[in-house]
Order: sequence, then structure tokens, then C-alpha cells
Amino acid sequence: MPAPYLALGLTGPHLVELTSSAALLARWDALPAAFTVLGVERVDGSPPAARTLDSSAVGAALAGQTTRGRFLIVASPQRDHPYNLARRVASLGHLSRGRSGLLVGVRDAYAAPDRATAARARDAARAVRALEQSWPHESIIGDRETGILVRSNEIVHVDIGGEFPIAGPLTVPEPPTGASVIAWSGSADAPDAVDLVIGEGGAVAVAVLGERPPRGTAGVLLRAEAEHSVDDVLTAAERLLAGDFRPLAAGPLRAALGLAAPPPRANGRAAFPVPQPHPSL
Amino acid sequence: MTDRRTGHVILGINALVLGYLPAAWQSPLLGKDSFVDPAYWETIGRTAERGTLDVVFLADAPVLGDPAHDANPIRLEPTVTWGHVAAATQRIGLVATASTTFNDPFELAERLLSWDHLSGGRAGWNIVTTRGADAARNFGLPDVPLRDDRYDRAAEFVDVVRALWDSAATGADIRHHGDLFQLEGRLRVPPSRQGRPVLLQAGGSPKGRELAGRVAEGVFAAELTKDKAIEHYRLVKRLARGNGRSPDDVKILPGLLLSLGSTEEEARRRNDELHDAGPAAYSVQWLSQSIGYDASKLELDEPFPEEVLAAPADPQTFQGSMGFRESIVAQIRRTNPTVREYLRQTRSTGSGHAGFVGTPEQLADHIEDWFHSGAIDGFNLQPDVLADGLAVIADELVPILRRRGLYRHEYQTDTLRGHFRAAAATPDSA
Ligand SMILES: Cc1cc2nc3c(=O)[nH]c(=O)nc-3n(C[C@H](O)[C@H](O)[C@@H](O)COP(=O)(O)O)c2cc1C
Repeated sequence: MPAPYLALGLTGPHLVELTSSAALLARWDALPAAFTVLGVERVDGSPPAARTLDSSAVGAALAGQTTRGRFLIVASPQRDHPYNLARRVASLGHLSRGRSGLLVGVRDAYAAPDRATAARARDAARAVRALEQSWPHESIIGDRETGILVRSNEIVHVDIGGEFPIAGPLTVPEPPTGASVIAWSGSADAPDAVDLVIGEGGAVAVAVLGERPPRGTAGVLLRAEAEHSVDDVLTAAERLLAGDFRPLAAGPLRAALGLAAPPPRANGRAAFPVPQPHPSL
Repeated sequence: MTDRRTGHVILGINALVLGYLPAAWQSPLLGKDSFVDPAYWETIGRTAERGTLDVVFLADAPVLGDPAHDANPIRLEPTVTWGHVAAATQRIGLVATASTTFNDPFELAERLLSWDHLSGGRAGWNIVTTRGADAARNFGLPDVPLRDDRYDRAAEFVDVVRALWDSAATGADIRHHGDLFQLEGRLRVPPSRQGRPVLLQAGGSPKGRELAGRVAEGVFAAELTKDKAIEHYRLVKRLARGNGRSPDDVKILPGLLLSLGSTEEEARRRNDELHDAGPAAYSVQWLSQSIGYDASKLELDEPFPEEVLAAPADPQTFQGSMGFRESIVAQIRRTNPTVREYLRQTRSTGSGHAGFVGTPEQLADHIEDWFHSGAIDGFNLQPDVLADGLAVIADELVPILRRRGLYRHEYQTDTLRGHFRAAAATPDSA
């Protein structure tokens, strides 16, 4: 069994600290870690910390300010709708050049209370996957001869039901690196759309920083606690990656984790007619 | 009478993805998927910043239109896109459009304030209510709610968002128990460097303008004629006064569609070529959608029949924008063109926004004229093709405006709110 890869779990105050320091960002970016969870306390049942930032906003900043660090944004579909979430996930997939993914949770303690059920989280994960796959990247042809930019008849409605009925398609094509990695917190109730389970029984075990990491899993997520500074986390990660952990080379998240591409969806209802070469005026 | 105003105009860029004309993607400067390429978006931000422009702007709707011949309907999510661009820039303001009909106020407030913090206080939110059944079907609804109901929700939504933003500074929970939202809690995001993200409103229906007068700090307007623009400018400033605000607290920024060239002839040729390279059915489709009448049924060589120009049967269910419709009808009444003439004319005057084809010098004249006439505080410029059109604005138009004392030489402020505050005051005539 190969040595495990290392992932980091940062909480709200760490996100504020990391994004306000160019030096910390540079160290984070240089770390050959698998990925960093942006706001791990939003999915693991923790109470809210004193400070936080929206996970997708942090992802956008990291995509713009760094070149190799990989990350999972965190979302619980308690207040947000998966159509909106899928747009952010797919957009980040493009803007980060495939370095991003999504960790879905059930309940987010920062949000003012609202509906939070495992069924909603499961259906949200499925919806994000289906929506990202609704528009195949290969349909973008940019053919100046015929005036056809996209073979838009290859774009399909998703027509999903359940907690969130959605017609689709998504407003953006699938990233060139493929549908984003979707992770789930804990193995209970994980839907089929999930690529990776973090925590109990999953491929990625969770270890609190300072404790001895468990053995026998594909990866270990080092969870930072309130008393740790980002410097503490990075220093610990640098040491572990120079020791027993397996550094992962730069590149898209799915490839770095050795995850297979998700199966394509069964053919849906075409969203648009076959485009005709357009006659000029 | 024009009264000479002092101070600076506001210059924004409405990106419209690759540019306002459908054929923009055919520019040799672009790759086939530039519309999702991070390097493309970073270049937009950096070029706008090179010109010390005030703001870049992204329209939005949570629905995909047919992208077969046109990148305009393709929409990356705006807060994420501008969040990415904020990381590649230092001073330019960034406005993301987001719907009050299809978002949650807590989630959106947290996301916008986070992006504002990460950008150093450069974020703005363009408040829209979204139209069309196709968008509704992405959220489990057969159609959007009626226009008035959408604006009622928008009004309460914005109140909740503002209260939540303030809670980030005070640390105190809000307790909102309104008609539509019941919500207790607070944001734990660092407070905004600019006080709050800047609020913009787009839409010209009476309820839309009411919302603008009450809360918006900028209005993205659609104006075809200077007279109508002056009328609407005064109306919104008056509504702001009526809400106990200073008229300077709401900046009026109509869109302006642009094709620029080093001579007028060159600009015309560029505009014609770009139109010819785009799909012909577009102008008929666009007109039908905008006026709520199937324009393909009209006699091409007759003037518009009166019943088509009269108000739409039901403003609650009319799918288009009332603001756009009003502006288009006023222009048709003024010049009484045949349908064919009008469709040809809209090839250069565009989609409910006024259009401009000419040199940077002539554009500076146009901006100066509308500014001194009290029709605008600035323009939201919409180049035909951003990939080269934006550079002409930054490197040619801006220096001309500077020489005329209408624009700053360097950034003097570093938040979006700061840029708006530093702009010219409202003229006495308004
Ligand atoms: C200049 C202008 C720009 C607009 N931009 C958008 C937009 O980006 N997204 C959107 O959903 N609606 C947009 N709208 C429409 C309105 O905001 C609103 O959503 C619609 O319900 C009706 O507008 P109305 O108030 O003009 O009737 C725009 C309207 C105008 C006049």
C-alpha cells in the first residue's frame, strides 16, 4: 500500500488568516498536499467559529492568487439551491484549471437555521454532478466557417426530481478537466455521485493536528483547531510531507487523487435544436 | 440649458462575456473557449485597471440560452468570476448581478460580504429579480412569480441583506420577522472596508425605480434618447430625495453599446462586419422579446402599428423588461420608422441601450454632452468585442477624457464606494 496523501482541513479563522497574507499563500501553494478543505467546521458538526468566510469566495481568491494548491469548497444545501451551487462549482473548475472540488455537508452551523436533512444534501450532490455533466466540453467547436460556436444540441436538460426539481442545463460547460470531484463527510448516506468520503469509514481519515495520524487509508486530512495558527498548520504539513506522507505533484484534483472520471449520464432531452450554419444578413 | 458640471464621470464596463455582438467570439484574438478561460477574465480586469476605470460589471441570470452562435448566454457565476479577477487586480470595482428571486438572503449576504472582504472593499451587487419561465424551472417552479411579487421579495430581501452586513460589524444577531423572511442570526465575516458592498439596481419599472430610490447606490439604466435619460435621471434622484437621501447617493449609469475605430468610417465598417458575421434572426427575436409582440408577424415596410406600441396587456406577466420596452417605444414614436428601417437601425443602436459608432474623440464628445446635460453620472460601456474594444477605451478614450478634466489621472480611492463618492455631484438642474 502506498504512503497516504495529506489533506488539510482549515476552519473560518484560518481562512481569514491565510487569505490576508501573501507569504502564507505562497507557502500553501508550494505544499505538495492533495487538497485543502475550505471551512471544514461547516460539515463536521462543529459550532461556528468567531470568524469565517464563504467557502466559494475563498476558492475564487485562491484560484486567482495561486497556481497549484488544490481545494474543496464546502457547502450544505440548507439555504442555498444546488443550481446556484453547481454554477459556482463548475465556474471554479474552469477558473482554477481543475484544482477545485466540492465537499457536501448536511448542516452548516453558521447559517441561520433552516431545513437541513441528509436527503437534501444527497440530492444536492446528485444535482451538482448532473448539472456539471449537462454540457459536454467537446461541444465547443468555435467554427468560424459555419458560424457555429457550440454544437448546442449536445447540451441536455437534467430533468431531475427529488428535493430539488431542476430542468437544467447548467449555464457553463463542464470544465476541460471533467466534472468536479465531489466529496462527502462521513460514509453514512453517501449518494452515488460522490467520489470521495472523508471521515468515518472513508478513503480519507481525519486526524487532529498534533495527534498521531491513523494508518491504512488512501489519505489523511489534518484538521486544524482553533488554537492553531496557519503557520502551525503549514509547518506541520511541511514536516509530514517530508516524512511519511506521499507528496502529490501539481495538476488537477481528480488526476492527483487518481480518481476515475464519473460515468457519463444517460442521454437526456436535448436542450437546443441542431445549430444551422447561419447565413449572413 | 446645459449647466456645466465639474468633477468626473463614472466609467464602467459591462462585460457581456466577450462583447455585446454575437460574433464577438470570432475575433482572432480569442480561443474557442475564452469565455471560460481564467486568463481571459484576468486580462479584462487588468486592462480596465490600466485605464483607471471605476468598475467592471457582469449581468446574470440562472439559466442558459442557446449558445450555438453566441457566447453571450454563457454565464460563469459572477461572484466567483469577479472574486478571481479581484485577486488579479488592486483598485478596480467589481459588480456582480444576483437574483433576489432565486437566492437566499443569508447565503447571498455571507457570500457577497466575503468576496467584498477578499477584494479589499471593491464589491458591488446588482440587484435583479430575474424574468422567464426557463429560469424558474431550474428552481422547481413552473414560472417566475408576478412582477410586483418579485419586487416585494426584492425589497424585503435587500433589507435583510443590509441588516446582516451590519451584523458583521456589530456582532449582534438580527431578528427579522417580515412578510416573506423569518430569520435570526448574524454574519461572522470580517466587516466591509467600504462600510457595505455597494448596491446597484437594474430595471426601469415603477417598482424597480422605487427600489432604486430607496436603497440603490447606482442604477444600471437602459436609455435610447437623451431626453428620456434626463427625465429618468431626475425621477430617480427625486425618489432618492423623497427617501431622505442625497441625490449624490445614487449614481445613474446607462449602458452604451460601442463600436470604435480610428476614423468614423473604420468604426462603421467594423460594426457592419461584426453584424454580418452574426446570426440574422437575432434582431427580430430580440425585438419580439423586448416589446412582447412577435415581430416576425409585422409588415417589414410599414411603420409599427399603434396597438403594438401601446402598453403591454399585463405588466405583471409581460416577460420583458418594462424599462427596456419604454425606452424602445419612445424611440420608435420619435422617428416613426418602418419595421425594416428600425431593425436596420437597431443593428447600430442595439438592444434597448443607446449605441455609439465612431472614434474615441467622438465618444468623448457624446459622454461630455450627456454628462453636462444632466442625463448621466457615467456610462456602463458595452464594447462590441471586449478583447480589443476595452483596450481602446483604456488607452485612447480615457486620455481624451482626462485632458478635458472629465476623468482622473490615477486612482485616488481604492474601494468601489470610494470611486462612486469621488465622482461628480448631481447638477442643480436635477
Ligand atoms: C439595463 C438593465 C439591465 C438589466 N440586467 C439584468 C440582468 O443582468 N439580469 C436580470 O435578471 N435582469 C436584468 N434586468 C431586468 C430587471 O432587473 C428585472 O430583473 C426584471 O424583472 C424587470 O425589469 P424592469 O424593472 O425593467 O421591468 C435588467 C434591466 C435593465 C433595464
